[in-house]
Amino acid sequence: MASDTAKLILHIAQIMIDELKLEDVTAETFDPDIDLVDEVGIDSMDLATVALVLRDEYSVRIDEDDYPKLTTIRLIAEYIGHKIDNP
Amino acid sequence: MTRALHTKQPPAAGTAEDPWKFSDIIADPVIKDHWEKVRRYFLLRESTYDMTSRCNIRCNGCYYYEGEKQHTPDERDADAWRTLMRREKERGITFAVLAGAEPSLVPELCAVCSQEIALGAIATNGMKSIPTDINYKIHISVWGNDETSFKTRNAKNMLVRQLENYSADPRAVFIYTFTPHNIEEAEAVTATIADHNNRVSFNVFSAPVGYTGDLRHTPQSLLETGRMMIKLLKRYPEHVLFSHYNAVAHTHEKGLHDLFGCSYPRQNRTENVGLGKSFRQYRTDLSWNRDVACCVPDTDCPDCRHYAAGSAVVTARLYRHAVNPQQFKAWLDYVDTYLSVWVIDYEKESNLCTQPVAPPGFELPPGLAQSVNAI
Repeated sequence: MASDTAKLILHIAQIMIDELKLEDVTAETFDPDIDLVDEVGIDSMDLATVALVLRDEYSVRIDEDDYPKLTTIRLIAEYIGHKIDNP
Repeated sequence: MTRALHTKQPPAAGTAEDPWKFSDIIADPVIKDHWEKVRRYFLLRESTYDMTSRCNIRCNGCYYYEGEKQHTPDERDADAWRTLMRREKERGITFAVLAGAEPSLVPELCAVCSQEIALGAIATNGMKSIPTDINYKIHISVWGNDETSFKTRNAKNMLVRQLENYSADPRAVFIYTFTPHNIEEAEAVTATIADHNNRVSFNVFSAPVGYTGDLRHTPQSLLETGRMMIKLLKRYPEHVLFSHYNAVAHTHEKGLHDLFGCSYPRQNRTENVGLGKSFRQYRTDLSWNRDVACCVPDTDCPDCRHYAAGSAVVTARLYRHAVNPQQFKAWLDYVDTYLSVWVIDYEKESNLCTQPVAPPGFELPPGLAQSVNAI
C-alpha cells in the first residue's frame, strides 16, 4: 500500500509539473508535503485543471467541495487512493 | 474499446457509464485553442476597492448606498493607497476592481492603483471621463435610454454624455443593466452604442438586501431579458460581448448562487484556496470585513445575477462543466466573454455555442430555447 501511495505521489507530481508548467522541479524532487497553495502558488483553477487530468487517469471524481482539503500532493494521493479502493 | 472522437453523444446528466474524458473533449482543435487561450488568465486574482463615498448622481437601487459601508470615512491620501496596493500585490492580488461610489471623482487614487497593479477595471457612471493614462477596463453603467435613466438615476442625457466621454475608447465597455422596465429599449440603446463603435455587455438587476422597489425581476421579465440578450448578441456580434450561456446563467429563474454556489467569502467559508482565501472587498477607509466580502456587497444573495459575480462564480466551476464538449464549450464562451469584458487588450473569440445550453444539473429556462430559434 505504501508503495502504491509512493507511485501515486510521483505520478501526481508529474501531472502537476506538466499541466502547470512548473520549473526547477522534478517528480522525484517535488516535496509531497509542501503546501501547494501557500508555497507553490497554485490556486483553485489550477487544482480544477489537475483534477480533470486525474479524473481521466484514474476514473475518479474529485468533488469541487473537496479542493480545500487537497493542499499537498500527499493529501491528493491519499484521496485518490481512497477513491480507488472505495469506488 | 476505442472511442470515436467527436461522434459520441454526451452522456445523460448523472449517468456514470463511459463519461467523456477531458483529454477527449480538448482533442477537438477548436476547443483546445480556446482552452489554451483562456487558461493563460487563471493567474488573475481579484479584489475590489470602494474609492470614495461620493457620487455625482443618486440611482434607485444603488448598491453602494445600502448597508453600513456608505458611512465609512474616505482615505484620500494617495500614499496610503499606494501602500495598500503594494501589500495587495505581495499577497498575490493581480487584478484590481475599483468600484463605489464613483471612482471617476478620485482619478488620482485610481492612477495610483493602476500604477501598482497593472490589470484592473473601473465601474463608473461615465459622466466624467477617466484619464487615458489609467489603462484599466472602464465599465460604464447604462440603465436604459435617457428618458428611463432620468427617471431611475435623476441625471439628464446620460447616454449622450457617456458616449461623448468614451466614444470608441478601447478601454470602455458599456454595461447595460436589465430591469423589468427597460427590456425593449435595450435594442435602441445597443444600436446607438454600436454606432459609436463601442462595446456593450449585459447585467441583470439584482436586488439589494431589503429592497422593496419595482426593479426586482420576475420569472417573466427574466425570460424576456434572456430573449433580448440573445437577439442583440445575434444582431451585433462585433459589439456585444456576451454568449448564449451568459444569457442562460444570468436570466435563469434560479440565481447564480443556487445554480453554481457562490465562491465569494460572504457565502464561502473556505479560507485556504480560491476566492475564499484571496478576495477582499475594501471600503473607502481601506478596511475590510470577511463576513460581507463579495463583488457587490449588500446584494440579496438569492437574487444575485450580477455580471461581476458570474465572472467569478461561473468561471470557478470548470470541473463541473468539463463533462462533454457542448457543456465545456458553453463554459469556454462564458470565460472568453468574461475576459473580454474585464481584461484590457483581450479580444473575444467567436462563440462556440450558437444555442443555449443548460447549467450542469439544471434545465434551460422554460421557453428560452424555443424562442431563440424564432429570433
